[in-house]
Amino acid sequence: MSTLSRNILLSLAISGLIIGTVVYAINYLNQQRVAQLNTIEDQLSTDTLSVETQYSLLANAPCEDFAISSSSEGTSLSQEVSNLGDKLQYTENRLGGTDPQVIQLKNQYTLLEIRDYLLTEQLAKTCHTSPVVVLYFYSNAGDCKDVCDRAGYALSYLHQTYPNLRVYSFDYNLKIGALKTLETLEKVQPSFPAFVINHKQYYGFTSLTDFESNLPSSLFATSTATTTTKTQK
Amino acid sequence: MNVEVLTYPFLFIAVFFEVFLLVTFISSPARARRAQKLSEKTPNVAVIVPCWNEEKTIKGTIDSLLALEYPKDKFSLVLVDDGSTDDTARVMDSYADNSQVTVIHQKNGGKHTAVNAGAAAASDAEFVGCLDADSFVEPDALREIIGYFDNPKVAAVTAAMSVHEPKKWIERMQHADYIHGITLRHVISSLNGLYVTPGPFSFYRRTTLLELGGFQKGHQTEDLEMALRIQRGGYIIENAPRARVYTKTPLSVPALIKQRTRWTTGFLRNVVYDYRDLVGNPKYGTLGLIMLPLGLVANVSGILMFVVILYQIGRNIVNTYLVTRGIPLSYLFTPHFHALSWFYLPLTGVILLSIITLTGAVTTILLGKHISKTPGNLFIGIVTYVLFFGFIAPFWLMRALFDLATGTRRAWR
Repeated sequence: MSTLSRNILLSLAISGLIIGTVVYAINYLNQQRVAQLNTIEDQLSTDTLSVETQYSLLANAPCEDFAISSSSEGTSLSQEVSNLGDKLQYTENRLGGTDPQVIQLKNQYTLLEIRDYLLTEQLAKTCHTSPVVVLYFYSNAGDCKDVCDRAGYALSYLHQTYPNLRVYSFDYNLKIGALKTLETLEKVQPSFPAFVINHKQYYGFTSLTDFESNLPSSLFATSTATTTTKTQK
Repeated sequence: MNVEVLTYPFLFIAVFFEVFLLVTFISSPARARRAQKLSEKTPNVAVIVPCWNEEKTIKGTIDSLLALEYPKDKFSLVLVDDGSTDDTARVMDSYADNSQVTVIHQKNGGKHTAVNAGAAAASDAEFVGCLDADSFVEPDALREIIGYFDNPKVAAVTAAMSVHEPKKWIERMQHADYIHGITLRHVISSLNGLYVTPGPFSFYRRTTLLELGGFQKGHQTEDLEMALRIQRGGYIIENAPRARVYTKTPLSVPALIKQRTRWTTGFLRNVVYDYRDLVGNPKYGTLGLIMLPLGLVANVSGILMFVVILYQIGRNIVNTYLVTRGIPLSYLFTPHFHALSWFYLPLTGVILLSIITLTGAVTTILLGKHISKTPGNLFIGIVTYVLFFGFIAPFWLMRALFDLATGTRRAWR
């Protein structure tokens, strides 16, 4: 075999090895992301259960006792749910919305959000507070790409600017019973983006200013604006 | 459709070529060439210096040639003034009293006619070399070259080019590119795959040069056409990696694009029109199977990669604007430190393969500096090469492809 032939074959083999290593590395990184998401979700699931249990234990206690003992963990839980949302969105962009692992993670994330939302509602009812809650329904079926991206970014901005604003985002098309029940209870129609603000439905997104006009003025009066906290879609 | 997918075949070819270079670099033919000693032989040689309006650099070129470490009775210089309109002729004539120097004045006929006139005049020389009048040589360069002619099938030997005293960033960038070329020529010549014998200090066996009919216009790249004719004739083109020669380079981006457009168009016209039979032809080994096909592919891939990158950047800017419009700028420009986590590392196949290809290119540059023993610091050159070369090159590639498609002929200068 000539030097040329030998070097061509050797180079092809090494190039194949390099490409294979690159593909493996990318795949490994994606799997590590999924593994981290699984770990976070498991931890959050435990944390949620802990807060729910605390709530049951303190159900008959004065509101202040509940607030003191659970607010710290509850706030931290909401923040972690928010961080998880960011990471999940990034992973979905990398692996695609149809990836079975992504769908599975989104299902679990959605359940966590719903549980966090119910806790927030229960706490508000018990303690007679009025948190501003936005339920945001988007679609990845290709019928809301640009507008939903805008709406999601605007909500991230609002959440970070007004920490008292609670935002829960849901992929409308996920096939989970709890989500479908929530959609039915809140009477959400499949027109995107859809928002439920304190149990009232809004559809479409034109601008940040228009959207802000739908939020209760109490949010702007009681919140301390900040841009240093974490984001959530 | 993800447009990045279009780049994968070209990135694979780029990785393959880099690997091929490194594998061939450590192969025995290349190692043998690096181990070659200075030649003790001193056959008659002549260096032809074709000039057209080179009044500022011609003196330095002649002086560097006269300082070559070579017996004076075996070395002659043929200065050919190709109808200069500046003071070049007068500078040349000032050397007419030197017994080693022959001065020829002719009407402007193009570089190939000037070199042919010089080769005809150097009748005593066994080997004739060319040196552009904007280039300078190291004293031992000729002795480094002569040894490669021991093989009678060797028709030409090329030198190791780099940039003369690079100062501006654009000179340093080209310096890195030239040093990259030193490794490339060294490696590819070990498998006889060179397709150009550059103007700065390439030498030819005079009998073979005349037998092949001397230089032709060659679509304004007479050195490339000559090399292809040598290869088609079944001869060998060698490279002397320690024969250092320094050349002047364009000092502005438009001038660089103009120069490289001429080179690239010359390559395309010669290969596509006149030497198509060599492409993919196993008879021509490395040249036919690797260098010419990949040279053609490189033109297309350089443009495609550039377009894809521009498209991606443009799309990201538009998307970012559409998604973030209406949001206060103070929020947009607030650093989001959570994004520094490994989780958000934006590694894709394209980015990783691009990094690998660039690493290969930088390695090739460092090897070039090492084997040629070229002095100077390459840090700025490598940085500017990595940052800018890939974004400037597509302009001459596109222009050359346009000229080829439309039959546009541009002036030399």
